[in-house]
Amino acid sequence: MIRGFIFFAALLAFVAVQAQELKPFVRGSQQVIVASHQDKPFILALWSLDCTHCIDDMALLGKLSKKYRNLDLVLVSTDSPEQTQQIARTLQHYRLSHADSWVFADGYVERLRFEVDPQWYGELPRTYFFDASGHSTAISGKIDRKEIEHWIQSSLKQG
Amino acid sequence: MNITTLLSTLVLLLCSPAILAHEEHEHGAMKASPEKMWSDSMAKEQTMAMSVTFDAKGRLWRTSVKDHHVLVDYSEDSGKTFSSPVQVNSQPEPVGADGDSRPKIAVGKHGEVYVTWSMLLDKPYTGDVRFSSSLDGGKTFSTPFTVNDNHDVIAHRFDAMAVSTDGKIYIAWVDKRDLATAKKNGEKYGGSAVYYAVSGNNGASFEANLKLADHSCDCCRIALVAPPEGAPVAFWRHVYDGNIRDHVMSILDGKNELRRVSHDDWKIDACPHHGPSLAIASDNVYHFAWFDNAPKSHGLFYTQTRDKGQTFSAQMHFGDDAHQAGHPDVLSLGREVFLAWKEFDGEATSVRIMHSRDGGVSWSLPRNAAVTHDASDHPQLASYNGKVWLSWNAKQEGYRLIALGDAP
Repeated sequence: MIRGFIFFAALLAFVAVQAQELKPFVRGSQQVIVASHQDKPFILALWSLDCTHCIDDMALLGKLSKKYRNLDLVLVSTDSPEQTQQIARTLQHYRLSHADSWVFADGYVERLRFEVDPQWYGELPRTYFFDASGHSTAISGKIDRKEIEHWIQSSLKQG
Repeated sequence: MNITTLLSTLVLLLCSPAILAHEEHEHGAMKASPEKMWSDSMAKEQTMAMSVTFDAKGRLWRTSVKDHHVLVDYSEDSGKTFSSPVQVNSQPEPVGADGDSRPKIAVGKHGEVYVTWSMLLDKPYTGDVRFSSSLDGGKTFSTPFTVNDNHDVIAHRFDAMAVSTDGKIYIAWVDKRDLATAKKNGEKYGGSAVYYAVSGNNGASFEANLKLADHSCDCCRIALVAPPEGAPVAFWRHVYDGNIRDHVMSILDGKNELRRVSHDDWKIDACPHHGPSLAIASDNVYHFAWFDNAPKSHGLFYTQTRDKGQTFSAQMHFGDDAHQAGHPDVLSLGREVFLAWKEFDGEATSVRIMHSRDGGVSWSLPRNAAVTHDASDHPQLASYNGKVWLSWNAKQEGYRLIALGDAP
């Protein structure tokens, strides 16, 4: 009985970790993400399953987060919670399961987009480089490996 | 926590999709590419994507998507009530109805109803262009067939349809067959291609696919409009050298001449999912509206050509950039021209309207035509007998057809 309990408890803990993989990105989530990164530089990458260029970014981010263990990565899928299985599979495929991952969980996407950035029109991929003071630089389109490595190296030094 | 609670919690957790996904990986499917189930995943059961058109008698035809079926219904009282929807495809299939993807509807001179859509295939971003017609006034629809004659599992998507005044049906779409060939040969190929097909027999069949242009953007709708005479005009986001995504027009007359419409120099390796709009009335003036997000020209733009693309008017910016002005539609009655687009002010989404009484030379101030506080479809303008309506589907308010005729 006790052995069974431990087994289930362990499984539950494991399952709970897995279940946290995708957090619902709702109204206010952007502020939560930014607030939880006070004094910490991080990359916020918005992507979707229906975006060919995003997949290239995912592959690159997967490689970079292996190379730079301290890289603080927040991934936000603009798909919907019904696509969780597909999103999780994609993240796993590109070895990004460990990243802080979110999924748009409000059908009113205009409002979510506006909260991320009023200047973002939903084009993907969209990537924000937040410095330690909370200021961000935005890039629409595929990220450049050299530029992103330069950013990581300089921001990790400061961090 | 006792064992029963624990077990029930566990069962609940195990039923969550993330866990199911994990289960599959645990059982050896981890190396499976992420593409499996893409079509199911993208073909959402509930979608607000719709298209409308008026027929010659003033009946408003509407197409929408539900549970893997394309539906068609109509209204004889300007959108107040609709007929019972008829299923176009009796066999369910995943229908693209997201972003710039949606089914399209057109009506021929003698009341033939034509419908196109993109059927999503199993690999990501792939699809086939589908067509069905009704020759009995929308009571029954023909068995859908695939219009693209390349049957590789690649993208043939973002179909657009126009019926010319001589009754021919033109369908244009974004096609990746040349990209696939280039890849096989180890060559580079920017973007996709635009292909089209023509039917001269009321949609019983289509002639061989024709290529209109290499290097279109991958995931933006094409605008395709029939002028008063001759072949339709296509307008789309193109990929120029250096990944510059600007807009281009071409007449589907077999000459494949491209004329660059915008010079915004938006250099981007991304999917804007934000295609343009085109309107042509009996005066044969082409009116263009589009979105760009280039550093030097940002937002919505309008221009026109009075000589089939030889020369263009100075491009006009419209909409409020601070409110995410986007997804424009343009409609021309000749002297009267309308622009509609979406804006979001942080709390509410509105469809804004601007109106010209001198053929697009001068414009009214923008005004709100409709507002919603939740998700909504792109706005579409439609006209019949000199009157103009905004067609807009919103989650909270449902479908609305709003008369714009008496705008100041």
